[in-house]
Amino acid sequence: MSGYRLGVDIGGTFTDFQLMDEGSAEVIAWKTPSTPDDPSLAVARGLEELVRDRGVDPARIRYFAHGTTLAVNTLLERKGARTGVLMTRGFTDTLELRRLRLPKANDFFVPRPVPLVPRRLVRPVDERILSDGRVHRRLRRDDVEEQVDFLVGEGVETLAVCFLHAHRNDEHEELARRWIAGSFPDLYVTTSSDVWPQQREYERSLICVINAYVGDRMKSYFDTLQRRAKDLGLACRVFSTKSNGGVMTAASAARRPVETLLSGPASGVIGARYVAGAIGDGNVVTLDMGGTSVDVSIVGGTVGQATDATIGDIPVIMPAVDVSAVGAGGGSIAWTDAEGVLKVGPESAGAVPGPACYGRGGTRPTVTDAYLTAGIVGETGFLDGAMALDGGRARAAIDSLAPVLGRTRRETADAILQVTTANIYSQLMPQMARRGIDTSGFSMLAYGAAGPTQAFMLARELDLKRVIVPPSPGTLCALGCLVADFRADFVTSLWRDLDTFGERDLEDIYESLEAEARAWLAEQEVGLKEVHVHRSADLCHVGQSWEVNVPFPETPGLSVADVVRWFLERYQAIYGHHDPQAPVRMLEARLQIVGVTPKPPPGAAAALPAGAPRGRRLVHERGEAVEAAVWHRRDLGRGPVHEGPLVIEQYDTTTWVPAGFAVTVDGHGNLIGERLR
Amino acid sequence: MNDPVRLEILLNRFQAIVDEMAQVVSRTAHTVFVKETQDYGSVLVSRQGEVFAAPRRYGVLMMIGMPMAGALERIGDDVAEGDVFVSNDPDATKGMATHLSDVYLWTPVFIDGELLCWAWTFIHVSDIGGRVPGSIAPSSHEMIQEGLRIPPQKLFSGGALNRPLLDTILANCRTPEQNWGDMKACLAGLATAGRRVRELADQYGHAVIDGTIGQVLDYAEAQARRVIARVPDGSYRYTDYIEADMVGLGLVRIHVTLTIEGDGMLLDFTGTAPQVRAALNIPTYNHDGHWMLITGLVNWICTQEPRIAYNAGLVRPMKVEIPKGTILNPEPGAACGARYSTSHKVCDVTVGALARAVPMELPATDSGQGSILLVSVPDFATGGHKVSVIQPIVGGAGGRPVADGVDGTMVILNFLKNIPTEIFENEMPEILIRHYGLREDSGGPGRYRGGTGIEIEFSTSAPFTSITSRCMERYVFGPPGRLGGHMGATGYTTLNPDTARERDLGKIDVLEMEPGDTLRIGTQGGGGFGDPLERPPEEVAEDVANGVVHPKSAWRHYGVVLRDGGGIDGPATGRRRGGMRRERGWSEPPLYGFGAAREAHSALWDEALEDAVAVAGADLPVPLRQFIHRRLEDEVRQRLERGERVSPAGVQDILDGLRAGIPVR
Repeated sequence: MSGYRLGVDIGGTFTDFQLMDEGSAEVIAWKTPSTPDDPSLAVARGLEELVRDRGVDPARIRYFAHGTTLAVNTLLERKGARTGVLMTRGFTDTLELRRLRLPKANDFFVPRPVPLVPRRLVRPVDERILSDGRVHRRLRRDDVEEQVDFLVGEGVETLAVCFLHAHRNDEHEELARRWIAGSFPDLYVTTSSDVWPQQREYERSLICVINAYVGDRMKSYFDTLQRRAKDLGLACRVFSTKSNGGVMTAASAARRPVETLLSGPASGVIGARYVAGAIGDGNVVTLDMGGTSVDVSIVGGTVGQATDATIGDIPVIMPAVDVSAVGAGGGSIAWTDAEGVLKVGPESAGAVPGPACYGRGGTRPTVTDAYLTAGIVGETGFLDGAMALDGGRARAAIDSLAPVLGRTRRETADAILQVTTANIYSQLMPQMARRGIDTSGFSMLAYGAAGPTQAFMLARELDLKRVIVPPSPGTLCALGCLVADFRADFVTSLWRDLDTFGERDLEDIYESLEAEARAWLAEQEVGLKEVHVHRSADLCHVGQSWEVNVPFPETPGLSVADVVRWFLERYQAIYGHHDPQAPVRMLEARLQIVGVTPKPPPGAAAALPAGAPRGRRLVHERGEAVEAAVWHRRDLGRGPVHEGPLVIEQYDTTTWVPAGFAVTVDGHGNLIGERLR
Repeated sequence: MNDPVRLEILLNRFQAIVDEMAQVVSRTAHTVFVKETQDYGSVLVSRQGEVFAAPRRYGVLMMIGMPMAGALERIGDDVAEGDVFVSNDPDATKGMATHLSDVYLWTPVFIDGELLCWAWTFIHVSDIGGRVPGSIAPSSHEMIQEGLRIPPQKLFSGGALNRPLLDTILANCRTPEQNWGDMKACLAGLATAGRRVRELADQYGHAVIDGTIGQVLDYAEAQARRVIARVPDGSYRYTDYIEADMVGLGLVRIHVTLTIEGDGMLLDFTGTAPQVRAALNIPTYNHDGHWMLITGLVNWICTQEPRIAYNAGLVRPMKVEIPKGTILNPEPGAACGARYSTSHKVCDVTVGALARAVPMELPATDSGQGSILLVSVPDFATGGHKVSVIQPIVGGAGGRPVADGVDGTMVILNFLKNIPTEIFENEMPEILIRHYGLREDSGGPGRYRGGTGIEIEFSTSAPFTSITSRCMERYVFGPPGRLGGHMGATGYTTLNPDTARERDLGKIDVLEMEPGDTLRIGTQGGGGFGDPLERPPEEVAEDVANGVVHPKSAWRHYGVVLRDGGGIDGPATGRRRGGMRRERGWSEPPLYGFGAAREAHSALWDEALEDAVAVAGADLPVPLRQFIHRRLEDEVRQRLERGERVSPAGVQDILDGLRAGIPVR
């Protein structure tokens, strides 16, 4: 008897589930309301539903990976532990000064960034390591204990130890950790060299501080979740998704919760890549549009990784799936300014009160109200009618703008959608340019509750030829959880000129990183299909102040000459020229290990004739009223081609296919939209 | 507005083009100025020379006030598809370029053979020749010392590179490869912009785009005028001083009379000092809305109207009047490399003047110092030198009517980033950073405290360690507070602090350090906003607990009495504050908290007398005026210090006397 793989994504409003039958690769998806005060409760409830309504034996679930926004929310809401910090004397203001740069330009009233830890809880320790790792002033136990005594007296629950140049020599941080563990055994302690040993004191310290700040809550969360899962009869271990698109054990996650910060958006991209990969489409722009956000990522064969992600104003330099926020989602509020010009966002009605049509007290017109009023989304709403929409309220909200714009109600709704498309476009294009990617020839893969509703309109502006809507776009992140591989990143900061490297140096550096990586993988204790090791380096010419990440081929052996050649090739590709004489410096050596989990091959179902549309309705778009057929997605068949304009409704979203596109359902259940010529 | 929906859609599309252009430039450029200090720009410009779309987050944000019309006039009608123009010449472009290090490149965008608009970029190149590496030295006293001048001309003609011109440019720079690399980044940005504008014209039609360009400019203007119209009509004066003692020029006066009339404004800089024989002049060519004059005002409008269309329409209401021959409108050929200090001071005086009308919409004065601390040590391996930036040395932002000032940096220089000590020490192990943190107790006291400055301390182990720091400011007059708020701390530089060899150095230009020497620099705190006695005692106690305000200052400036354990002594605080209120003897808070040094200066020099000295000799040839102006100031000061009365009307007589004593034919 085959088993199941379970993926769960805990979002702000809903907790999403996907269950995959390992034999047939068939997937069922469902949602249950989230329980933000006790997030694992919703997981337990969803599992109960699974057992009760679908008769699945929990013992047959062999793999359970989930993603949680607990860490990122704890950080954003500033609800973490009371954290104390030990820093090198002279540098205790590292968190206050940040990198100086302010979050907004041209704003006299820009908010003053507030550090996670108040200044008085950052204590100086009289020690100093030099840039080459030599000890300049030796750490003293009495000094450390005196400072920790003070902090414990101030009520700190967790402690971060962040010494200057600790990435080069972790001796003092390790000593401090040991001494503290001896004297204060119950204190949750993290050290900067352990969490992410990269050069740059602010960014490294911050990661360490975040880890301490969210660590306590994450640890008790995982404890509760594991207990509840066990009580429900789940025999398998619990895995957690990571910012880099991988998974790790709950035990690893409790120790290094900072690695889960960006796991939510990352899982969606992993799910998208799985869907696109199954149909052999390697190049996609992913579009995840929900109630409060629009996120895009570019998958060109592989999932892009970035080391410059931010959460609010907080930089996170650990590798994460490269996702850009490009708008505010279906809850974005439409308004007119004093000159009568129509604006959409950045203010959002959020989840509460939400769009006017949710009937939860919102009265201002949102993008979702415009979908409804324009005729794109129907009043039956989502979740098989469990989330019906109030058309009257939506129309009333839209009516508040119509006279100012001198337009009819439906024209106003149409105008809001056109401006929304232009907003997303204007934020998306520079992001692509920043990465140097030409997306012509890319497909758009849409998910999230509103992604499929907006995707075709956006693809038309971007001149993309194809739009893919997976079978359960509302729960794609949950799919990402269950198909993710084990993945971990390792770094060592060198900042050395390549011409100073001895014959064995490069090999030694990467061998030591690889040993660390394989030890991590062994700790996860999972069955793997294969293991990949991706080596890369951040390199620059001597004297430059920015770097180029150069991936190395997977062939064994490494020479300085190889690395220089790969660097110059990459440099040429980006800057259009290169200088073979200029000396090259290696800043960071990086290594990512990937333990590929076995996944059922997606089976292709046979063709199926189409049923009949549910009806027709008038849709206003781009200044025209068109009559669109309204289908339920399951009635589209598999194989038949349907030309736009048409509306396709399903459990978790509505897809709008304007004229000029034709859609068909493929053997995997994906909706494939192609541009007509 | 013709169509308020299409306008918003095309505003977004224009924004996408300039943001994409900025990303292309910054991704492919490769010098420190671009990567670290964002010193580049990318905009779209109307046929008439107005910037109609500009990035709001990437690169230099003030390009909306760059006057392009002079450059267009200079190139005339000989414009064809595939042309790319180049210039860096402030005089030939009538104030578009403001120093030679900014190299501008621009190209026409043609649709069906008809000129629709221009794509425009600039980049601060690492070196453009001249007497010093990097081209900029405050002590340069004529533009010709500051590098190569390139009057507007074609770098590409119909797509063909003008190789002789390029070779000539590159042969006159110390960093030819880097400069060409950066120029190529600009060319890539221009190509992208041209392609996107053409796509837009295909989609919406040439006429629609053409019409909308005018509309987005009018739209921004209407929004800006609405903000200005809320300001009470009137004339508002303000004065501040560049501390040009570094180049032997003492205090250089910047004075503005800001007149608001309806929904427009006039910035009259009459009373500002004559142009100087130093690189501090700004060649504005008296352009309305010139970007080096309006940073403060643009920040104010954008703070009030965050979603304003960001283009030259925004600066249309800002008229300018600057007498020729002054530091803000010098004769051709004046040195201008280090004009940043001057521009920042102009920001301070425009904000200071506007605060007379709308004090609750503006912050108190910020640190005013945007200096970059450079170190050079001998490189024993090569026999040359190693040069590196230690840190940007800026101070705190002013307190705001709604919040405390930002610590350690200024809102105006929001883009500036510091250098990780770990990276710096790795690059230059000869220097040991001993301390880098907030400067405690430096923020100007106020209901909303000024941001603290920073303190940095480092020592060297190398002989002939050389430290330079241009644009140090406010070591004499601290950043003024506002509406009862106090001045922020002035800057200081101390060699070998806390030792027998301790020396107070004041502002430094070039400093040589010996092995074992330690240098400590403290930057200014921002001015405070509002009455410090109105600051809730809990907030003061919190600042004291966090060490950013000393207990003594809590008592002295805030009237807060703290118990030994840190708690607030409520009754004692009430008594102390009551006493302080009676003692200071005002019921309405003073608008400006200038501090003792500036007040002593003002007590000696009244405003009318300073006005008279500033404008005296305006008819003299520039060198003669510069020479006499210094003598005139000295003479008047000596008389005032002797207790003599000098009336504004008497200034001309003194000048005539000095003139007569100079045997110039």
